[in-house]
Amino acid sequence: MQGLEIPSIGMITLAIIQALIMLALAPLFTGLSRVIRAKMHSRQGPGVLQDYRDLYKLLRRQDVAPSPSGMIFSITPWVLIITMALVAMAMPAVTNQSPFPIAGDVITDIYLFAIFRFFFALSGLDSGSVFAGLGSSRELTLGVLVEPTLILSVFTVALITGSSDLGHISTTLATLPWIAPVATVVAGAACAFVIFIEMGKLPFDVAEAEQELQEGPMTEYSGSGLALMKIGLGLKQMVVVQLFLAIFIPFGKAETLTISALLIATIWLLVKLFVCFSIASVLENSMARVRYVQTHELTWVGFGIAVLGFLFYLTGL
Amino acid sequence: MFSFTLLFSSISLYVVAAIMSLLLSAKKESIGIAISGVLATIGGILGVCASLPVLFGADAMNYQISSPFYFADCILRLDPLSSLMVFIISLIVIACSIYSLAYMQEYKGKGAWAMGFFMNTFIASMVALVISDNAFYFIIFFEMMSLASYFLVVFEQKEASIRAGLQYFLIAHAGSVLIMIAFFILYRATGSLNFQDFRAAHLSPAMESVVFLLAFFGFGAKAGIISLHSWLPLAHPAAPSNASALMSGVMVKIGVFGIIKVGIDFLGADTAWWGYLVLAFGAVSSVLGVLYALAEHDIKRLLAYHTVENIGIILMGVGVGMVGIATHHPVLATIGLLGGLYHMLNHAVFKGLLFLGAGSVIFRIHTKDMDKMGGLGKLMPYTAIAFLIGTMAISALPPLNGFVSEWFIYQSLLTMGRQGDLMMSLGSIVAVVMLALTGALACMCFVKVYGVCFSGAPKSKASSNATEAPIAMVIGTSLLALMCIVLGIGSPWIAPVIKGVAASLVHGGQAVTVAHGLALVPGIAHQAILSEPIIAISLLLLLLIPFALVTLFKGQKMKRRHSNDPWACGYAYEERMTVDAGSFTHTLRSMYAPLYTLRDKLNLAIPFTWILIKTTSFAARIEPCFDDYIFMPIARTTQSLSRIVQRMQFGDFRWYCLYMVIALVILLLIPFDLGVK
Repeated sequence: MQGLEIPSIGMITLAIIQALIMLALAPLFTGLSRVIRAKMHSRQGPGVLQDYRDLYKLLRRQDVAPSPSGMIFSITPWVLIITMALVAMAMPAVTNQSPFPIAGDVITDIYLFAIFRFFFALSGLDSGSVFAGLGSSRELTLGVLVEPTLILSVFTVALITGSSDLGHISTTLATLPWIAPVATVVAGAACAFVIFIEMGKLPFDVAEAEQELQEGPMTEYSGSGLALMKIGLGLKQMVVVQLFLAIFIPFGKAETLTISALLIATIWLLVKLFVCFSIASVLENSMARVRYVQTHELTWVGFGIAVLGFLFYLTGL
Repeated sequence: MFSFTLLFSSISLYVVAAIMSLLLSAKKESIGIAISGVLATIGGILGVCASLPVLFGADAMNYQISSPFYFADCILRLDPLSSLMVFIISLIVIACSIYSLAYMQEYKGKGAWAMGFFMNTFIASMVALVISDNAFYFIIFFEMMSLASYFLVVFEQKEASIRAGLQYFLIAHAGSVLIMIAFFILYRATGSLNFQDFRAAHLSPAMESVVFLLAFFGFGAKAGIISLHSWLPLAHPAAPSNASALMSGVMVKIGVFGIIKVGIDFLGADTAWWGYLVLAFGAVSSVLGVLYALAEHDIKRLLAYHTVENIGIILMGVGVGMVGIATHHPVLATIGLLGGLYHMLNHAVFKGLLFLGAGSVIFRIHTKDMDKMGGLGKLMPYTAIAFLIGTMAISALPPLNGFVSEWFIYQSLLTMGRQGDLMMSLGSIVAVVMLALTGALACMCFVKVYGVCFSGAPKSKASSNATEAPIAMVIGTSLLALMCIVLGIGSPWIAPVIKGVAASLVHGGQAVTVAHGLALVPGIAHQAILSEPIIAISLLLLLLIPFALVTLFKGQKMKRRHSNDPWACGYAYEERMTVDAGSFTHTLRSMYAPLYTLRDKLNLAIPFTWILIKTTSFAARIEPCFDDYIFMPIARTTQSLSRIVQRMQFGDFRWYCLYMVIALVILLLIPFDLGVK
């Protein structure tokens, strides 16, 4: 494995383009979830482009902030987008190596997600609304419950590959033979569980209904602020799915940096994203909700799977 | 030698500041506050300068002063580790002293002079402690530090602070007894009290372990590791805020310093289970510390519990380092120690900042209860921004400083897990999960602190009338906030310096690379890379995306409106309809209920107090026998003597302090024979 270095201009350009494309596609995939949900409810439902129309409308509307709100409330929508865009730049989405390895360390990414969570929750408290405040509390509680599982599963893979860089992990796992196949698959299952929660899905959350407490921090947003928040959340869904794909399904990437290879890899990526979002939507809609105070009983199962993955690594399977 | 001159001037300035505070009577207290603040600030600056040459690669320096005691040579030593400690102490002292210029006005007429005296004594003894290279002087300064801080804890003379002080006093001294025994064993083995002989001591492995355990628990009591922590959340909040900042930011680090000194410097850390022990205590302390912090309503108690957490994180780094030394793995050892030492510096900065920030709030609204704050972000904007930076740094959010050190600890754990040894893999994975859990909990806790205190609507009359803190206090907090950013973004230049300190403790550590160009690497080039400056620049540049979105789709919308009440589910909004410190964490506390019950079970202070009560009651029962036959005759003689001594008593506390100083000086000047050596 070669050493990691500060990327070249070409790679940085690729990273920026990739982040912009993800940003542009985020409403499409959240729209896809809405379509699937409507179909499963036997409703007509909105079109797949509805989220673009919503955002366009919101961006042109007036911002209204409640009087107790302050600085945090105003800057949060911006913070959410920039942190997620930075993670998006670092994802080895179409290439084997991360185009921007500076932010492509899994530990760094997990803490960039922490910035997102920190400000998202803080904006709820800053709005002064009790409803938003409870939403913040739940958002952070869920973070506490899933973070150990996420880090345990990702760390198991880092131990297998000897690097915490997403690009190196991705490359090593894409190269056969696998060093510890069973451990990788089990860790992947645990990671998928966390990604499902991080996407804001049932039984933990309903991302679409604003009245849900989990989305509570958004209660007081309106106009362009709300639009930016929605883009930020949509981008987060894209990014967490890609984190999973980059680590555990690292196939179909461009081996060489030619336009044609990159295009083929992009198509593969879109297919993978489509499958992931569809599965997540179907799963979500076939589940009942659980009471919030019982979520930890479920997340313990995820943690158990992650521990199992690590034990398989120890036995060398 | 120039460093020593600077250092002596710095210590003398603290001593002069202490004496000046004492001498300036109640009427000239404002002058006393000003003089002590300014002198201590200059002292801090000199201390920082003194520490720099060794930190930047100069050789360790020794200096011997003629000692009044022939059995104890007064040797001072500035090696990389003690230079780092001097740097940390002096840095926080600068911020605290500037802050004190305004903060101490609150205590005018309530004993500000005594606080000036004890604060400066406390600082001087800490600096002297870290550079002394002789067990006797080390213990003397250690005791001076404990005593001075004890007086700061009981300063406010409330029932709670006196009780806190008593518990602190007991545990601190139980700790010193263990340290003294450890030093005594080393003294028996070497026949000398000098640390340089301790370093060359030859002990049997079993005896080495005994010494290490004694020192670990002795210094651990000072550091506040879990099970010896109970004094910490009582004592630190009881002191005035500038003293809490020094106690929580700096004094607890003396405990870690001692563990490194004895474990690695003296004994060479050649037994792997010591490292695992330190790692285990670190991991448990970090998770439980932050979990208990979450349940707090009192802002200073909450911050004190976070000190337990961060000491845990530091010890995790040190533990990995010790495992690395014991298994002869220089990369592992250096990166682990680097993480621990870097976090030690970082924690001093952000915890100092948070305590000073909390002090500014308390200075204005006179309560420590977070549920009576709220809305301060708009009323105290500078304090709020500095505090926000502190909360982000302590939650380890990039690109601030807390993240760099935690990243190094994560990387050292990854290296440790890769060694193919079962124990190492298990230790690494458990520690990683604990560290991740700590990170998530700390994030939640500090959203709560900032959200409940500074965001939303004011929750009490006092907080709605708050105004920005005085300028000196704003400078003190902003200085530390700036340091949080500098230590984060400047990490590619700072990490190699701290690596130098870590490498001085590790055989073969100099060859480990931790930075090239703008990037940090954990010793192994392909394992990971991090560049805080590039992350910071990227985040700033990415602001263009939302900016472009907002401008491109602007339309003809109306201007932003900032009015009206938040939505309250259809009811009329009232200001008490906000989330408070309790309800915010209620769900989480119910999920982790079993861990909260551990708090009393793990608390060694409870059996300790029980034994103390039994002993005193036993002593009370046999007391009368002594009384009648021994003490009463002595008492009668003493009484008649005391009538003579009474002429020296003026009933003024300051005179007694002066007597103590004079007595100490005389004692130091008379070289008498204690039969040692």
